[in-house]
Amino acid sequence: MSVLVAASALLVAGCGHAAPATTLTVLAAASLRDAFRAAGTAYASTHPGVALTFSFDASSALRAQVEQGAPVDVFASADVANPDQLVNAGRTIGPATPFAGNALALIVPAANPAGIAAPADLARPGVALLTASANVPIAIYAMRVIANLAAEPGAPAGFAAAVERNTVSREDNAAAVVAKVVLGEADAAFVYATDARAAGAAVRSIPLPDRVNVTAAYAAVVARQAHDPAAAAAFVAWLAGADGRSVLAPFGFAPPP
Amino acid sequence: MTTLVFARDRRDSLLAGALPRFVAAGWVLFLGLPIAALLVRAATVGRFDDAAAGRAVLDALVLSLVTTATSLGLAVLFGLPVAWLLARRPPRGAVLLETLIDLPIVLPPSVAGLALLFVFGRQGVLGGPLAAMGLSIPFSTIAVIIAQTFVAAPFFIRAARAGLRSVHRDLEDAARVDGGGEVAVALFVTLPLAAPALAAGLVMAWARALGEFGATIMFAGNFEGRTQTLPLLVYSEFQASSDAAVVAASILVVAAFGVLLGVRLARRGSVTELGGTG
Repeated sequence: MSVLVAASALLVAGCGHAAPATTLTVLAAASLRDAFRAAGTAYASTHPGVALTFSFDASSALRAQVEQGAPVDVFASADVANPDQLVNAGRTIGPATPFAGNALALIVPAANPAGIAAPADLARPGVALLTASANVPIAIYAMRVIANLAAEPGAPAGFAAAVERNTVSREDNAAAVVAKVVLGEADAAFVYATDARAAGAAVRSIPLPDRVNVTAAYAAVVARQAHDPAAAAAFVAWLAGADGRSVLAPFGFAPPP
Repeated sequence: MTTLVFARDRRDSLLAGALPRFVAAGWVLFLGLPIAALLVRAATVGRFDDAAAGRAVLDALVLSLVTTATSLGLAVLFGLPVAWLLARRPPRGAVLLETLIDLPIVLPPSVAGLALLFVFGRQGVLGGPLAAMGLSIPFSTIAVIIAQTFVAAPFFIRAARAGLRSVHRDLEDAARVDGGGEVAVALFVTLPLAAPALAAGLVMAWARALGEFGATIMFAGNFEGRTQTLPLLVYSEFQASSDAAVVAASILVVAAFGVLLGVRLARRGSVTELGGTG
C-alpha cells in the first residue's frame, strides 16, 4: 500500500515539471559539440516548450543517417555539400541554411615531439599525421589547405604526396582527430580553429598564413522526416540569426561566409 | 478426472512442442532476416566496378586474415600455458587471476582501446620507452594485433581451461604408469583429449578477433592496408554511402558462417569417430 502511495506521489511529482511540448533531435557535426550544448541550454531557456537532444559525429556519417530515415529533425553540417546532397535528393524541408563559418588550424601536441615549426615540416619523413576519413568535411578542408601549401612558392617538391605518405590514420570525425593529438599519439593534424582553441594548452597551433587557409561554411537543414517541422525550422532560423550567432561566437565560430 | 488429465497432457504437449517451435521460428526470423537483407542487398549491387573501393575491400580482407591469424597464434602461445596453470596448478589467488583474464570479455571494446592507448600509446607506460627507441605502436598493424589479442584471447583461455580441467587425471596417471614423461603425457594424452575444447576456444577467439572494431579504431586507428580491417572498412565505407560497405559486410558474414559451420561439421565427424571406436 505504502509502495503504491509512494509510486503515485512520484508520478504526480513527475507531472509537476513542465514537460517540453516537443523534443527536437539535432544531428550535428562533431566540431559543434561544445557550441551546440551551449546553444541547447540557451534555446531551452528562451523556448520553454522545446527541448533539444543532440547526436554528434562526422557530418558525412550523419548525412547517411538522415538518408537511412533516422528520426531526425535538424541536421547541422560542417559543410554545405552534405546538406545540399539531402536537399537535392528531396530529403529535406526547404533549402540548407548557412549558420556559421570556421577556419582550419595546424595543431601539434603541447610537447611538439616532431619539432614542427612550420607547415613545410609536415613533409619530413617520419612525421605522424592524422586526418579523418576521406569524405569527412575536415579531411576535405585539410586536403585543400595542403594543396594550397603545395602551390606556395618555395614549397618542398612533392609536398602533398609526402604529407599523404605521413598520414597514419583516418579517424571517424574531427573530434577524434583532436583527441588523439591531445593524447600525443600523433605529431600533427589539421583541425578546426574552434577545436584548436577548445583544446587549450594541450596543443600548440603552428601559424598558417591566411592565404593558404580555407573557410568552412556550416549549414543546417530540416529533415523531411522531422516530426515537428515548424519547431525544427524555428530552431534553424534562431541558429542562423543574431541569437544563435551570439551563442556560437564565444566558441570561435564566425558568421557564415 | 479424465478430462483433467487430458487437458494437462494437451497443455504439456503445447509447452513441450508447439510453443518452443513457434518461439524458435520467431528467433530464426530475427537472426536470419538482417543477414538475408544484407546478402540480398549485396547481390543487387551488381557488378562491383569501383576499382579503388575494390582494392580497399581486398586490402582489408588480407589485413583481417593476417592479423587474426597472428592474434590467434599469440592467444595459443600465451593462453595455453596460462590455461594449463589455472587448470592444473592453480596459484594462490587463482580466482582473482581468472576474473582478470575474463575481464576483456565483458569490457566494452572502446574501454579496451583506451586502456591499450595508455599502455602502448606514445605517452604510455610501455609505449613511451618504445617510442623513444623509434618503435611507435599506435596506428600500426602491430596495434591491430595487440587489440585483437587483448579482446579475443580470453575466449580461448576460458575454453582451454575448462577443456584441460575435464581431462580425467586417471588417464594421465595411467600413461605415467606406462612410463610416459610429463611432456609426453601432456602432448599425447592431455592435449588430444582436450582438443575439441581447444578447437572450440580457437573458433570463438578467431570470431571475436575478426569482428573486433572498437578497440582497433581507438588504438590502431583506421588506415587502408595498415590498420583498416574489414569491420573498420564497413564503417568507413558506409559513411561514404559506398557499395563497398555492403560487399565487405557480406564477405564477413559468409566467412564467419563458413568457419562456424565447418568447425561444427568437423567436430561432429570426430565425435562420431570416437563413438564408433568406443
